[in-house]
Amino acid sequence: MTAVPAFTRSRTVWILAAATAVALCGYHVLRLLPLSESFDLNRVVLLNSVLPRAAVALLAGAALGLSGALLQQVLRNPIADASTLGISAGAQLAMTAATLFAPTLMAHSREFVALAGGLAAVVLLMSLTWRRGLEPVTVVLGGMVISLIALALSATMILANGEYMMSLLIWGSGALTQQSWSPAQSIAAVLVASFAASMLLLRPLQIVGLDDASARSLGVSLLWLRLAALAIAVWLAAAVTAEVGIIGFIGLAAPAFARIGGARTQREILLAAPLIGATILWLTDGVVQLVAGGPANMVPTGAATALLGGPLLLYLLPRVRTAGHSPAAANPPPALRIARPVPILLMLLPVAAGLVLLALFVGRGPEGWDIATGSLLEDLLPFRAPRTIAAFAAGGMLAGAGMILQRMTGNPLASPEVLGISAGAGVGLAVVLFTQSAPSMGMRLAGAAVGVLIVLTALLTISGRTEQGSARLLLGGFAAGAFCNAIVNAVMVTGDMRAFQLLTWISGSTNETGWAEAVMAFTTALVLLALLPLMMRWLDILPLGSAPAQAVGLPLQKSRIALVLTASGLTAAASLIVGPLSFVGLVAPHMARLIGFGRAHQQLAAAILIGSGLMVAADWLCRTLAFPYQLPLGLFASLIGGPYLVWLLRRRA
Amino acid sequence: MRSYITENARAWSRRTLLVAALGMPFIRMARADPHARIAVVDWALLETLLAIGAAPVAATELVQFRKIAVEPPVPPQVADLGLRGSPNYEMLLLSRPDLIVSSPWFAWAEGSLSRIAPVASYSIYEPGRPPFAPAEQVTNLLGERLGRPREAQDYVAATYREIERARQQLAAWTRRPVFLINLGDARHFRVFGPDSMFGDVLQRIGFENAWPRPTSYGAAAPIPLEALAQVPEATIVIISSTPPDAERTLADSPIWNAIPAVRAGRVVMLDPINPFGALPSARRFARLLTNALLAAGSEPA
Repeated sequence: MTAVPAFTRSRTVWILAAATAVALCGYHVLRLLPLSESFDLNRVVLLNSVLPRAAVALLAGAALGLSGALLQQVLRNPIADASTLGISAGAQLAMTAATLFAPTLMAHSREFVALAGGLAAVVLLMSLTWRRGLEPVTVVLGGMVISLIALALSATMILANGEYMMSLLIWGSGALTQQSWSPAQSIAAVLVASFAASMLLLRPLQIVGLDDASARSLGVSLLWLRLAALAIAVWLAAAVTAEVGIIGFIGLAAPAFARIGGARTQREILLAAPLIGATILWLTDGVVQLVAGGPANMVPTGAATALLGGPLLLYLLPRVRTAGHSPAAANPPPALRIARPVPILLMLLPVAAGLVLLALFVGRGPEGWDIATGSLLEDLLPFRAPRTIAAFAAGGMLAGAGMILQRMTGNPLASPEVLGISAGAGVGLAVVLFTQSAPSMGMRLAGAAVGVLIVLTALLTISGRTEQGSARLLLGGFAAGAFCNAIVNAVMVTGDMRAFQLLTWISGSTNETGWAEAVMAFTTALVLLALLPLMMRWLDILPLGSAPAQAVGLPLQKSRIALVLTASGLTAAASLIVGPLSFVGLVAPHMARLIGFGRAHQQLAAAILIGSGLMVAADWLCRTLAFPYQLPLGLFASLIGGPYLVWLLRRRA
Repeated sequence: MRSYITENARAWSRRTLLVAALGMPFIRMARADPHARIAVVDWALLETLLAIGAAPVAATELVQFRKIAVEPPVPPQVADLGLRGSPNYEMLLLSRPDLIVSSPWFAWAEGSLSRIAPVASYSIYEPGRPPFAPAEQVTNLLGERLGRPREAQDYVAATYREIERARQQLAAWTRRPVFLINLGDARHFRVFGPDSMFGDVLQRIGFENAWPRPTSYGAAAPIPLEALAQVPEATIVIISSTPPDAERTLADSPIWNAIPAVRAGRVVMLDPINPFGALPSARRFARLLTNALLAAGSEPA
């Protein structure tokens, strides 16, 4: 290993971090001492809870770090990890489904269920992106889509099965509390086997770092190599998810930290990532136990890794070297550009209007489907109209925000959901809910808007404005989103009525949407979307990059500020209605482009109509699909928006 | 005395006026049975209505209710209003209730509910207040309101008899305090305090609750398993439903097996009971607890 100064310096940092983790663990052990001679619960707790917990933290951190390093190398993708590729979410979904529908299977082969879920997610991802040569951005896009779908499905299943509060506390966040050594043993076995296998794959893996042609010319079977490394990475992540739940960020952060610290070769990264992952998780868990006031307390460490990992990663992002991974960041042009866009735009209008009418008139009752007219309609409209109007406005606003973000950052994956800024609305909302006794609609909106604005501004500042900042922006977006979700989750642990309101918000339920919300959403949409035509020229020119933009005399700073403010307002108002997850802000601009709308003003108009129509249709399906049981709109929209996007991406290839 | 009832006064919809105008001949009948069509959103009140024989036309989350609360049985013609957290207002409207029975837990929904029919809100659960007495009171109030005071009184009396029977049968067991828990997963549980329905009934049967601390809304969650060792002489009563993998993991857990009550075999498991129920849940708890303890052994160690 070459002794680069950065490497030495960062090694000192990690040794200090590890020492702190050891000290914290020692503190938790000392609290239980001295042990008495006779039977002593402290002894049992020490031997079966405190020590295995430390072991699991180390092993799970190492496993996730190794998994992330393998995934990043084999996919040549600096933002690949078990959470961004949907592996953890797939494993979690499989376990949720098994708990509900095949309890015996779950009781006897938890690990197998998780592995099957993780593998299914990866197989799906590969089959979707194979034809595009596993191109990194497409792979992560597909992975995120799969991950969000899986999490939405898990959440919907949990919500539909009652016991909200208990599940809420356990849902989705990895808890490291231990009662025996068996989880530690399971993870250790997988880790040892995987580590040995990765060492065998080391030399060929280094060659994969070259481009495909050079690798092939050196006689490496890319296909088998990639599959083998992928399988190992999935096995590692699934084993961790099965034993302790989803612990995000470690697999993403550990290899990134290793590279920042100066690890150059594949060997260095594969060795350093598990060590760094183990240190991060152990340290985080030590702090969590300290804050929670005891080793056995139920504060999910998985939520805390995002809490600690998010800001750290955001801080370190400007130093991430993404060169050599060459993310395909360019905004792909429409597959076919339509010659006469106006007639097609005019055709979208009646489709959207038709969906609104469908939502207003058609529903289900005790006797089956019916079209409401007359006095029945008069009775039903006070319930149907506000939610339909609010959904319509929210869909349009998300489409507008997504469109701005994609054009402004030159990043096809940018959207309120992906960049984590709609999660920022949740933090703002949480602050308002917990500081005001009876917050008005305006205050909620203001809180959400401030949250969105802060996250978006921080993200754009940190990720840099350069055209190479694309992968950095996405990485920062993941970090910001996970950080905001971690805050909201932490707040929800209080478990009172406000937590219930936040849960309702996260699921994006429109059942309680009344006229106040509808009017708020509709006016905000009208005002902010009316501003957009004034910014069309910027949106047409900005994707070309800042140099050409300045060359044609664009007021770069001013235009960016105006766009950021508009996007924040749109995101905040829409998120209040449909929650952070809906996906429509990502899907609608894509669909508009894939239909063939190239110019900014056409794409915008089409995207808004598509977004509105999509959201109204989703709300109608939420209401009728499982009647009389209702699905939450935000989660459900991500279930239809996501697969459609995947399908379109695949078709385009 | 606190008032357990708040009534929403916006009762006069156009439909009501129409019925009032056209329905003069039916007025006597309407007086005898002032609310023929009741909808209910809160499970505790659903239990109460069923107990006094005033079956509602619509109620929430019946699939889960039949699984978790189990009794009283819900007649098949009762319409399901969907999740308690997201009641289906269209279905509620189409059930054409003339009264909606609700609780303060549904305060957030009251605006929408009161647009469909007058809302009567009854409070059984409040933080720090044992819920048995309020449940009894609400049963009587609902009985009077719905023209079934006799049925309500009879049900209250039957509940007292059932608890008295449990007290006599379990007299030998009451020397040991009892932990009432519900497993969230193999590593965490929630514990029912004296301000829960189970805790209240437990006390009335003559037991001491091994978790004497106040909880929020009757149950504190989640608690680490080690907490169960703090009262070594206690009996542990697990109230279902228990997640499938929790049971297996628990059996293998050294900490669980180190808890004195577990080592001594003083653990019983009860079938599902609605943890936030009314008198029917109280009776079910008393009966299941009696059966489980009597079946566990002739005399407690």
